[in-house]
Amino acid sequence: MTGYAIVLASGDVGRVQAASIIGSVAAASDVPVELFVTMDGLTAFESERVERGAFEGGEVAEAMAADGGERMDLYYEQLADAKEIGPLSVYACEMAMDLFGTDLDDYVDVFDDTLGVAGFLNRAADKQVVFV
Amino acid sequence: MSETDYQPDQTIDARDATCPGPLMDLIGAVKAADPDTVFELQTSDAGSKDDVPEWVAETDHELLDIVDEGEHWSIYVRTA
Repeated sequence: MTGYAIVLASGDVGRVQAASIIGSVAAASDVPVELFVTMDGLTAFESERVERGAFEGGEVAEAMAADGGERMDLYYEQLADAKEIGPLSVYACEMAMDLFGTDLDDYVDVFDDTLGVAGFLNRAADKQVVFV
Repeated sequence: MSETDYQPDQTIDARDATCPGPLMDLIGAVKAADPDTVFELQTSDAGSKDDVPEWVAETDHELLDIVDEGEHWSIYVRTA
């Protein structure tokens, strides 16, 4: 196993945070991680939403908003930190961005680049795929 | 309250942070450290108290001690 290719297709912040935690700890432990953020997953990374702390989800979203990043780093902070110490790449799905009419400037500064499905499959070829 | 024989070269205060904050703090510090550096990781998170040793076991670093300090645990790790 040469790493994880994580597909994040949900904007539910509990799922987003879980994907971030697993990906960040794996990368920090020198396990290569490719995180492909697509569909509703992208909405969790909208700059405006992050600034407002308007997280989508159930009790986890409420708890995270109440904590305000005091005790637990939020997903975008975790990913940015993990990229400093391990092999983690974060990609935004080109197709979903076309659908939303957005570009990378609309999102928090955590993405390495945009990526299409063929590009993701190339990067995932030698990795265990985790779908969130 | 317990005691330990180990004198840390560096102490990481990760009290009040939840999982995986303490572990990420330790990993970042360990990667920047010289061999034979002794770290004391302070955590009040019970999950991290159990999870950090799991991480250490998969590395070449050495888990020296886990001390219950009452309000937190001190986890001692020596770098390889």
